[in-house]
Amino acid sequence: MVKAVIIDDERNSRDIIALMLEKYCPFVEIAAMATDSTDGIAKIREHQPQLVFLDLEMPDGTGFDILTATQGEVSFEAIFVTAFEKKFLQIIRLSEVELILKPVDKESLLHAVNTVVRRVEDKQATQRYQVLMENFNSQQNHQWQVIIADNNSREWVVLLGDIEYFELADDKAVFYLRTGDTLSAAGTFRYYLELFSGLKFYQLNNSQIVRLSAVARLSGDGTRVILQSGRTLEISERRKKDLLTRLQGEH
Amino acid sequence: MKRILLLMFLCCCTAAITFATNRSALPDTLTIEPSAAPVAIDLRPYIGSLEDATGNLSIDAVPQLPFYTNNQLFHAAPRNNSKPNNCWLKINIKNPGNTNASWLLFTGWHDFMYWYQQAPGKMPGLLMQTGLMLDRGGVERWNNYGFVADIPPHDTRTFYLHIINKSFNENPFVPTLYNSAAFVTFQSTQVEGYRRESVVILVLLGMLLVILGISLINYIQLPDRSYLYFAIYVLGLILFFALRLESKPYQLSFFHRWPMLKYYWDIPGLLFCFYLMYLLFGNAFLNLKERYPFMERIFTWVAAVVGGLIIICIYLIAMEQYHLPTIIYGYVYFGTLVPLLAIFIALARRSQHHPLVKFFLFGSVCLYLACLGSFLIHVRPLGLVGALGELSAPTVLLIGGILLQAFFVLAGLSYRNKLVHMERTRTQEMLIKQLNKNKELQRKLNEQLEELVKEQTTEILRKKQELEEQRKIQLETEYVKKLTEIELKAIRAQINPHFIFNCLNSIQLFVMQRDFEFAQKYLSDFSYLIRKTLDFSRRNFISLADEITYLNTYLGLERMRFENRMEYEVVVDPEIATAELEIPAMLLQPYVENAVKHGMTNPKQVLGKLSIRFTQIESDMLECIVEDNGIGITRARELRSLPKHHQSSGMEISQNRADLLNKMYNTEIQIEIIDKALEQECNSGTMIRILIPQL
Repeated sequence: MVKAVIIDDERNSRDIIALMLEKYCPFVEIAAMATDSTDGIAKIREHQPQLVFLDLEMPDGTGFDILTATQGEVSFEAIFVTAFEKKFLQIIRLSEVELILKPVDKESLLHAVNTVVRRVEDKQATQRYQVLMENFNSQQNHQWQVIIADNNSREWVVLLGDIEYFELADDKAVFYLRTGDTLSAAGTFRYYLELFSGLKFYQLNNSQIVRLSAVARLSGDGTRVILQSGRTLEISERRKKDLLTRLQGEH
Repeated sequence: MKRILLLMFLCCCTAAITFATNRSALPDTLTIEPSAAPVAIDLRPYIGSLEDATGNLSIDAVPQLPFYTNNQLFHAAPRNNSKPNNCWLKINIKNPGNTNASWLLFTGWHDFMYWYQQAPGKMPGLLMQTGLMLDRGGVERWNNYGFVADIPPHDTRTFYLHIINKSFNENPFVPTLYNSAAFVTFQSTQVEGYRRESVVILVLLGMLLVILGISLINYIQLPDRSYLYFAIYVLGLILFFALRLESKPYQLSFFHRWPMLKYYWDIPGLLFCFYLMYLLFGNAFLNLKERYPFMERIFTWVAAVVGGLIIICIYLIAMEQYHLPTIIYGYVYFGTLVPLLAIFIALARRSQHHPLVKFFLFGSVCLYLACLGSFLIHVRPLGLVGALGELSAPTVLLIGGILLQAFFVLAGLSYRNKLVHMERTRTQEMLIKQLNKNKELQRKLNEQLEELVKEQTTEILRKKQELEEQRKIQLETEYVKKLTEIELKAIRAQINPHFIFNCLNSIQLFVMQRDFEFAQKYLSDFSYLIRKTLDFSRRNFISLADEITYLNTYLGLERMRFENRMEYEVVVDPEIATAELEIPAMLLQPYVENAVKHGMTNPKQVLGKLSIRFTQIESDMLECIVEDNGIGITRARELRSLPKHHQSSGMEISQNRADLLNKMYNTEIQIEIIDKALEQECNSGTMIRILIPQL
C-alpha cells in the first residue's frame, strides 16, 4: 500500500480525488486530507506519506511552499492537481514531476499514480523536487534544469544552457552538450520538441533542434549553422530567414 | 461824387465871381514897335478873354462878342481846373513902326489851339492850329505853339486864340509875346529843361527794355508764368513812360502820330501796371495758390476789379471824360494805401517760410514809398487837388522806385530760377534715388518672392509630410484602438479557467456521487454562466440587470464550491433602473472573484461574507462596492510566497482593463482598493470601490 495525503482547499476536489483513488487505485491508502498549506505541512509531518496530492494554489500558500517546507525531512513523491496551469507547467514538466488537471480523468490519474508508485517502489532519488525548486527559484530559463532519462532509466539533470542541440535518432532524441558529451534520451524526439517549445530553441530542420544562444554564425553560403563549439549543422532553406530574425531578437 | 460836385460848385462860384469882377475891364490895344532886341511882353493886361461854356461859339460869332480881361484864367504852374476849359483870347496889336513887325505869341501847352488873324474891317481867318490832342507832327510840332503874329507897318491886327483844354489838368497858362530873338532864347531854355527831364525817362526806358528783354528771354527758356507777367508789366511801363515823353514838350516818341494814345494809356496804364499786372505777377511769382490761398483769392479779386476799372476808364476817356479816370485813380490809390500795408505785413510774416516774399516785398515797398513820396512832393507846390492830378506824373523819385522795384523783382526771379533749378536738381536726385530705391526694392521683392516661393514649397512639402504623418498616426491610433479592443476581449476571455475547471470538477464529483439532480442544477448554472461569458465577451457594455444576474449565478456556483462556507448579497439601490443602465462588461467579475478567493482565507472568520452594492451617488455616477471579510489585501499580499517574477496580480489586470476602457471610451472609471483592517483594527477584509461614470 502506498500512503497518500490529499491537500486541497476545495472539498469537491479532495472528495473526487479520494473517490477516484478509492475506485481505481485501491493500492493507495489515503492517510489524511488537508484544506490548506499549513494544514498540509502538518499532515505530511504527521503521516510521513509516500505520495502527496498537491493543489498548486491555496489561500495561504502554494504547493511549492509545502514542498520547500517538507523536502528535507519527509521524502515523498508529489502529484500536482490543478484546474488550470500555465505559469508553472513548463518547470514542472522539465522536472519530470507529475501533474494532473481537473476535472480528473481516470487515465491521467492512473498514469500519474503508476509513475510515482513505480518510483516509490524503485526507491528512486527524489532529486526531481530539488530541481523543481531550483527551477522555481531561477530568474532566467537558461538556468533551468531538465531531467533527462537515458536508455538505462538513469536520470540526468542537465542545465538548459549546457545543451547545444539535440537531434532525432531512431525516433528518440540525442542531446549534444557543450561539454562535448552526448546523451541519448529515453524520451522521443517529438516529446522533447514539445517540451522545449516556448524555450529559446530552434528547429533547424526535420531532425535537429538547436539552442539559439549556442549559434555562433551562419556559414558563408548560408546552408550551415556554425555553433560556438565549432560544430556545424545544416539548415533547411526555408527556415534560414526565420532563424536570422530569431537570432537578432536574441542578441 | 460829392467831391466832384463840390469841385464843380467851387468852379461855378469862381467863374461867377470872375465874371462879375472883370466884366467892365476892356482889353487895351497893345501898341508896340518892332525891335531887334529880345522883347518878351506879358500880355495878361492886354488880352481879353471869352469863356465858351457851351462850346458852340464859332470864329464867325466871336468878333461880335465882348472880351474882358480876366487874370484868374492864367496861371504859371500846372493847374487842375476841375472842368474843361474852353476859352477865346483876343488881342489887338498895333504896329506904329515903319517896318513889318513879326511877333510870336506863346500861351503854354494846351490840348486844342486855334490861331485866327483879323485885319481891320475883315473877317478873321485861321492862321494856325495845334494842340496836344491835335497835332500829329514830329518833333517840329513843338514849334507850333509859338503863334506867329505879323503886323504890317502902321497897322493894327486883331488876333483870336481859341484854347480848349479837355483834360482838367491844365499846363501853365501865361500869354507872352516874344519877338523872334526872345522866342529863340525862351525856346532854348524850355528845350533844355524838358530834355533834362526826358533823359531820366529815356534812361529808365532803356533799363526797362533791358529788363523786358531779360524777362522775355527767361520766359522763353523757362516758361514760367511769373516771367510773362513781369514782362507784360514792364512792357506796360515802357509804353506808359514812352507816352509820358509824348506829353512833354520838345520830346519825341514813336507814338507822335497818335496824340490821343497818351491819354488812353495814362490812368489805365497805371492801373494796368501797378495793380492788375502787379497782382497777377505776385500771384504767380509767390505761388500763392499753394502757399497762401487766402492772399491769392484777394489778389485775384482785386485784379479782376482793377481790370473792370481799366475798361471803365478807357470808356470814359473815349467819352472825353478825362478827369474821371484821375478821380477813380485817386480813390484807388488812397483806398489801397492801408490795405497794401496790411498785405505787406501779412506777407512779411510769411517771409521766413518763403524766401521769395522778401524780394517781392522789398520791391513793392520801394514802389509804394516812391509813389507816396512823389505824391507828397506834388502836394506842396500844387495843393492837394493839383497833386491828385499829377498822381500819374513820373517824378525822379517814382522812376527810382520803379527801377529799384524792377531790380528786386528781377533778383527775385533769378532767385526763383535758382530755387526752381535747385528743386529740379533735388527732384532729379530724388528721382535717381527713388529709381535706385525702386531697383533695390525690386531686387528685394524678387528675393522675397523667391524666398516665399521656397518657403511655400517647403511648407507644402511639410504639410504633405505632416498629412501623411497624421494619416499614419490616425491609422496607428485606429490600429491601437482595435488592438486594445482585441486585447480587452482576450483579457475577458481568459478570466476564469480555474473556475471553469473547478466547476467541471465539482460536477464530475456530483455525477460520481450519483447526486444527479444537483449535478444537473450545477451544470445548468454553469452552462448559463459560460453562455453569458461568451455573449458578454462580444459586447463592451451590458445592462446592470444582466451583470447582477451574472454575478448572482457566479456567486451561487462559488458558494456551492465552498460548501456554504460563504455568504453573499447583491444590493441594488431601488432607484437605479437596472435594465437601462449600462456598465462595462466583465469589469466587476475579477474583483468579485478576488473577493471570493480572499474572502475564504480568513482563519478568524468561519463564514466568508461578500457583499456587492450598487448605488447611484450622483446623477451620472454609479458606485459599485465589492466588500469581503477576508484577511485584507495587504496581508494577502504578504502571505504570497511566490517569487517576485512569478507574481501576477488579478488586481493589476483589472486596473489595466479599467485603463483600457478609459482610453477607449474616453471616460473616467475609477477603482479604489481599501484594506478595511488599515482603517479599523477589529475589522478585516477588502473593499473595492468602483466609480463608473454614465455615458
